[in-house]
Amino acid sequence: MNIERLNGLSIDALYALSDKMGLDLPVGLERVFILEALIEAFEEDSEDRKSASDAAVHIEEKKYSGSELDEIDASIDAAPCIERRYNETVVHVIARDPEWAFVFWDVRDDELEMLRLGDGFSGLFLRVIKEPSYDGKGTASFDVVVEVDDDHWYLQLPEEDRSYRVDLYARNGSRSRLLAHSPVIRTPRGLLADSFADLGSGAAELAALSGIVSLEITQMPNHHPSRILGGFDE
Amino acid sequence: MDSGYVALVLNAHLPFVRQPDYPRFLEERWLFESLSETYLPLLRVFARLEADKVPWKLSLALSPTLEAMLGDPLLRSRYIVWLSMQLELAERESSRCSGDPAFEPLAAMYAELYRQNHDDFSILYGGNILGAIDFYYKKGRIDLLTSGATNAFMPMYRSYPEAIAAQVEASVVSFRTAFGRSPSGFWVPQLGWYPGLEETLAAYGLQYSVVSTRGAMLGDPTPRHGSYAPVACPNGFTNFIRDVAATDAVWSDTTGYPSDPVYRDFYRDIGFDLPLDYIAPYIEQNQIRTFTGFKYWAITGSGDKVPYSPRPASAKADEHADRFLRDRQAQASAASPYLDGRPVLMVATYDAELFGHGWFEGPQWIEALFRKASRFEGLKFITLSEYRRVYPDNFESVPEYSSWGDGGYGGVWLEKSNDWVYRHVFKMIERMVELAERFPDESGLRERVLNQAAREVLLAQASDWPFLLRAGKSGSFARKQIEDAVTNFNRIYEMLCANTVGTEWLTRLEKRNNIFPTINYRVFRHKR
Repeated sequence: MNIERLNGLSIDALYALSDKMGLDLPVGLERVFILEALIEAFEEDSEDRKSASDAAVHIEEKKYSGSELDEIDASIDAAPCIERRYNETVVHVIARDPEWAFVFWDVRDDELEMLRLGDGFSGLFLRVIKEPSYDGKGTASFDVVVEVDDDHWYLQLPEEDRSYRVDLYARNGSRSRLLAHSPVIRTPRGLLADSFADLGSGAAELAALSGIVSLEITQMPNHHPSRILGGFDE
Repeated sequence: MDSGYVALVLNAHLPFVRQPDYPRFLEERWLFESLSETYLPLLRVFARLEADKVPWKLSLALSPTLEAMLGDPLLRSRYIVWLSMQLELAERESSRCSGDPAFEPLAAMYAELYRQNHDDFSILYGGNILGAIDFYYKKGRIDLLTSGATNAFMPMYRSYPEAIAAQVEASVVSFRTAFGRSPSGFWVPQLGWYPGLEETLAAYGLQYSVVSTRGAMLGDPTPRHGSYAPVACPNGFTNFIRDVAATDAVWSDTTGYPSDPVYRDFYRDIGFDLPLDYIAPYIEQNQIRTFTGFKYWAITGSGDKVPYSPRPASAKADEHADRFLRDRQAQASAASPYLDGRPVLMVATYDAELFGHGWFEGPQWIEALFRKASRFEGLKFITLSEYRRVYPDNFESVPEYSSWGDGGYGGVWLEKSNDWVYRHVFKMIERMVELAERFPDESGLRERVLNQAAREVLLAQASDWPFLLRAGKSGSFARKQIEDAVTNFNRIYEMLCANTVGTEWLTRLEKRNNIFPTINYRVFRHKR
């Protein structure tokens, strides 16, 4: 940590930096304590990065051998210069892996205002529709209530290798009104398309020699499909 | 008949960083460091192999952003300036370490490295690294693949076929400009594959790519030859499959060869170890500590660090090359009986910059691989295009959405630190499609404006920025790259909506973000 550079920053810049680092420092703190807290946070971050079991990240990281002051520079140079939203009514969904999708949405200010002024507006919700059909109906769906101030969520989807669409609704009393719907996405498979037993001899041996056991893509007893926190790479 | 083929595939990529508005710019060092420790040392390896008539061949994916930077006159001249600075530091280091039995030879080693780089770059190649690569490409030693225009993680943009097409088209055009012929191989950035991508790739005349073992094995139907032969999509597009064992041998953080204690430590660098006064002239703004490339310690393992010693490190690289080939030979023997007489193919893919920059002894390891290969009976190196020519018929299967990132899907490029990016990039794409539809046949100034807008969309799609945001490395720089592209694009969008164009501003922007000079914004028209 470069203490010289930190010393050159104003108290406001140090506070801005501590916010960026996720530190909750009391207002009016002595400069020396802010510096201490920042240095400690940087050291912790650095340790976390070094110990993360993500080889691909480590290898690629070395290409980007910047300074130790990346985060500090952020507070100096990178004043927010883009709008956070585009004031439109929209919902998007991106499949992240077999289980999780990222959904983000927005509601136009005037539309939201109209909703608020209307009778019985009680908030927004997302309707997740599995295998949506062309007539707009799905085989199954579930709703996720979101706060009016929210604009993104990670949704856990019930099945891999399925199509999903996410609709954004406003709830008005017992009625609901469709505001926007996303394109259809498909969650990827997390397990082999064919049963391992059906591969036949030769193919099964080659699959095993290809390392599929380490990839955890075959159905195993007590197998848990979640690999969001998995530490393996490929 | 050979029982096993090894295809060594290197992915050479750096994001587009070019800041003519600043006399020196920290992140431009990424290119200079890779030139010094990877690209030039690898070219020296190739030259030695040629001189000794060693049969060698590999596949090299060269990203269009790196291609653009290697060909850029400003960055070339800045590299010469940077090398001069390194040579000056080397001289000071030689004096500082004089008389020290451990460090004096190392200081001399770095002086020689930078002197050689200077001579090779400015005299031997005349600054033209692409020309040097082209020499081996035309000789058939290197099978060149192109890659996504700005290294976009394609699965994120699959809802926008226009954006995918733009990534592919810009890369193909860039490749043709640099090498005078059309590419047939396409490196999918981050091995980020999704079913359907093959249609876009084939539409641009591309014939093959590489996917992760996970993606291939999760394909439908399950490949019958495991990862030991490529798979073909119904449209004939071929996907080679990354080999897990060959990958782990080099890639694994804990057991990979580069983690051996005798190798040079990447992190200990005089940029962080020596007094600020001493290194000030060689770091940014004379005060931001950075890597200088002068590293004197071995990885060591537990206990106090020991000084780096090149000779045992070289011997270890040699030993690791031997081990790699022996292990591939054993792997081929184990898989061969199940392949119905077809030779086993093991595709070993790595980031090119690992060799030399990340793993200092990496180029020596590659050289040893080729020199030793002839002694391993039944094992031979092959390029992807050559294999495809010899074995055009492959099991039909479409790989699943996958990547080589942690977790095997899109988690590296879509998580809490970087998910905000997509709201902006999606909006840019939508607006770009709208502009391309509204102005389908522009020329002159308006065409220039639209082309610059298209460039900004491509730059914002770079997967490097979400990656860096997640890694916490250069996060502020990454954020700024995205914000700049979004801001530039939105300004253009507003100008076009208001029917006014700031010519001076546009010209300045064109000069700064001068990548893809022949881009055609119409690629963003609706795909029907």
